[in-house]
Amino acid sequence: MIEVEHLQKVYTTKGNLLTRSQVQAVRDVSFRIPDGGAISFIGESGCGKTTVGRILAGLETPSAGVVRLDGVDIRQVPARERRDLLRKIQLIHQDPYQALNPAQTIEQALSAPLRIMARQMGKASQPWIHERMEEVLTMVGLDHASILYKYPHMLSGGQRQRIVIARALTVEPKVLVADEAVSMIDVSLRLGVLRLLRDLREKLNISVLFITHDIAAARYLGQDGQMSVIYKGLIVELGSTEGIIAHPQHPYTQALLSAVPVLKGLEKMGADRFVLAKEMNTQSDVAAGCLFSDRCPFAEERCFREAPALIGEDHQHACHFPEVRQVAAVAME
Amino acid sequence: MRVRGLNVVYATSQGDLPAVRDVDLDIEAEKITGIIGESGSGKSTLVMALLNSVGKPGKIVSGSVLVPGVGDMLAIDRERQRKARGKELGLVFQAAQNSLNPLRRIGHQVLDLGRSHDVRDLRDLLRRARDLLTRLGMDADRVLTSYQHELSGGMRQRVGIMFALILDAKIVILDEATTALDMLSQASVLEIVRNLHKERGLTTILVTHDMGVVADMADRVVVMYGGEIVEEGPSELVLSQPAHPYTQGLVQAIPRISGDIDRAVPLQGLPADLKTYLEPGCPFYLRCPVAMPKCQTNRPKNVAVSADRKVACFKVTDHD
Amino acid sequence: MSMLSPKSILRKQPSQSHNRQSFWTFAWRTIARKPGRLIGFFIILLYIFIGVFGPYMYPAQLPINPNAIYAPISWQYPLGADFEGTSNLALVITGARYVLFAAAMGAVFTVVFGTVLGLCAGYFIGWTDSVIMRITDFILTIPTFPLLVVLSTVWNFGQPIAMGFVLGITGWGGLARAVRSQTMSLRERGFIEAARGLGISPLNILFREILPNVGSYIAMNLLLSVTGSIYAEVGLFFLGVVPFQVNNWGVMLNLAVFSAGAMSSPQALPYLLSPMLAILILTLGIVLFLDALDEMFNPRLRGV
Repeated sequence: MIEVEHLQKVYTTKGNLLTRSQVQAVRDVSFRIPDGGAISFIGESGCGKTTVGRILAGLETPSAGVVRLDGVDIRQVPARERRDLLRKIQLIHQDPYQALNPAQTIEQALSAPLRIMARQMGKASQPWIHERMEEVLTMVGLDHASILYKYPHMLSGGQRQRIVIARALTVEPKVLVADEAVSMIDVSLRLGVLRLLRDLREKLNISVLFITHDIAAARYLGQDGQMSVIYKGLIVELGSTEGIIAHPQHPYTQALLSAVPVLKGLEKMGADRFVLAKEMNTQSDVAAGCLFSDRCPFAEERCFREAPALIGEDHQHACHFPEVRQVAAVAME
Repeated sequence: MRVRGLNVVYATSQGDLPAVRDVDLDIEAEKITGIIGESGSGKSTLVMALLNSVGKPGKIVSGSVLVPGVGDMLAIDRERQRKARGKELGLVFQAAQNSLNPLRRIGHQVLDLGRSHDVRDLRDLLRRARDLLTRLGMDADRVLTSYQHELSGGMRQRVGIMFALILDAKIVILDEATTALDMLSQASVLEIVRNLHKERGLTTILVTHDMGVVADMADRVVVMYGGEIVEEGPSELVLSQPAHPYTQGLVQAIPRISGDIDRAVPLQGLPADLKTYLEPGCPFYLRCPVAMPKCQTNRPKNVAVSADRKVACFKVTDHD
Repeated sequence: MSMLSPKSILRKQPSQSHNRQSFWTFAWRTIARKPGRLIGFFIILLYIFIGVFGPYMYPAQLPINPNAIYAPISWQYPLGADFEGTSNLALVITGARYVLFAAAMGAVFTVVFGTVLGLCAGYFIGWTDSVIMRITDFILTIPTFPLLVVLSTVWNFGQPIAMGFVLGITGWGGLARAVRSQTMSLRERGFIEAARGLGISPLNILFREILPNVGSYIAMNLLLSVTGSIYAEVGLFFLGVVPFQVNNWGVMLNLAVFSAGAMSSPQALPYLLSPMLAILILTLGIVLFLDALDEMFNPRLRGV
């Protein structure tokens, strides 16, 4: 079980000697993933979802907030233990090619982490390492014999991402953070990788945090899990995946769902579907009130004055005037 | 626009590899045609070939590309070709930051474009640019005075669209124009394209790997695999009743936003690569769930199976 | 549904090579691809052979033949003879060892220092980087040649290793900078972050993950610094700044110009030109071979 409470990340950039600007990448994010569970983070680029993933994987330190893995606060433990804990949370990058060392064969790339594991378990022997290598490659659906001595550039995007996942599996992770893990893979191969992640949840009880802007993919991977919608570092809606897609309450969620292309001939357009024309203002934040108010087509006076809090039980939202709108496409027949 | 017998090869140390093979294509006027294909399908090469801009080591071996009002792009002289690009044919690139000069302001680039196409009234050109940008939902004056790195991805893509349309091209090709954008920007850019298409009576060609984009926008869809066209037809029909096994697999491999999630099934095998191109039979043979022995040795031709549909598959055509 | 195995569903793919192609096989193939590289490679091999075995091919004291002073080029004296009647070819061959050995030592020192410091500075950044870079800047400002001249007044450069050491100590600055900047850009790449996340130790990251990616640059720098070192040493001996005990190319040039008057009389010309020719051919060989290095270290070209 991984728990995140009131995570915050602020970046300070030094302008000149005198001025400093602050960027609030993550303002207040809280969520929980049970073992084998899944949560997807939906939002546009620049809304902080990638930062959350990186903080979880230990690549960034939060400005505030708590991250607990199986009850242990990661920041409060000594460095060595922290490193071991963070190893249990593995990040799957967006670009599988960048995530693999171009100068190493697959075998070399996999032996590096395996040697560490072998030492930890007191089994520093070649046969064990080789056996484990075969195991993880088979787990991700690859034929180890034909792949071990290849270089990354010889493989397809789907295969590369599977290798990245296999490498993550060598250290027996509890959580996988998939940051747009299929966006750079050919469409025909995407589902295979998503399917793999789903199977890993089931078979190995690994929790998955799926960061993406593709809601349909998030649904496939975590239909039984949760979905949270993030805007400018703040969660604006959080609930079960199916609940959010069928009954979205926040206008931003509705805008995102509206943007999902409708498969003409297979689906019918949602009745209340709309297009959000205004771009996200990255320059400055709205003075007070709801962060989304400058783009929201349903904004009213109160929205510019008062920032809405995240309220609700199972299905939470941060909006003064939540209203369910039928925006998602519906399958025909 | 009519393409006949187009063949493009890439010269490599191992010989000539066919990237586009025997492509015959009719692009209907004033309709949106979607060309769908993944990496290795040859679709990007096809787009370049339509403009006769295939870069080395690619080489157009044969074929004709007939553009109304221009002639055969592959046969006319260089000067006429250059003029056609921009004036009759507009191209919007993927990740438009690669096609915008980072050292010149947008407004200056508009003027550059006008000058290279011998536009006499440059002031009028700028005014048209301003109108288009406003139409595209942007602060025109701000954009025209900006450098490309000062604009967001979505804005750059819209600027790319402006450039494609500014000389009143009637045929617009969008090559993966929304792939680098996230969902919201994509949705609004596509909406704009749809509206402009209607207003100006354009002939739009959308080249992408995203079935969703094609399904949402296109009237007609063309599916490419291994350098060949394997299926074409009205998009609704091709999506609801795909004929070619690849199209079927592709449609099935789309995760759905509603309905049973396990209706989506992954497509087996690996995408086409250099070796596939050299095989004598159907390029999809190795991944095809319904392949027959003859598929390994003979290549199916793209033939009509009904008034407006064509498929290149023995399984489908041998039935009739 | 269980994990999908590609084997069960696909038609038989053409058999893949299961063998791991070793670096040396690939390196040889790269060299053999273009004739220029092959020539360069063999030239270098030849010089290494001469450097190692050259002196053994001749007696310790080269024969002096008063009848053959400034003998013209002939089968017996392929490169002519010097002012004592000794064959120039013999002089060039025996004189190779010092020059090549010192240059090789210098190159090795440069590469080892430059690479290690560059990697550390580029990877650990912050304080480590600042310190290393200040030292590098200092080294870069030291003019090698004048330093060698000054040192030669106190140091005995009879042993090539001493010369090599000084050459190496002063020459690693440029490489360190270059390796540092490559490392800094690589360190942001996904696979380095992944290596950190997997708990791979920084040492392993530096030498197993980053180093192979800067390999081509280092190899090229190694060869180029060999040529640089040769010019530096030969220059030193030529100027007569370093007292010579052993014969080498620089000594030959010095004697040819200042003692034999090769600049004014055509007789001594072969004596002057022989070592220059030796240097020229070696440089040519290195330059031709350099072409192969970039390809050899580029993993993207392997096994295609």
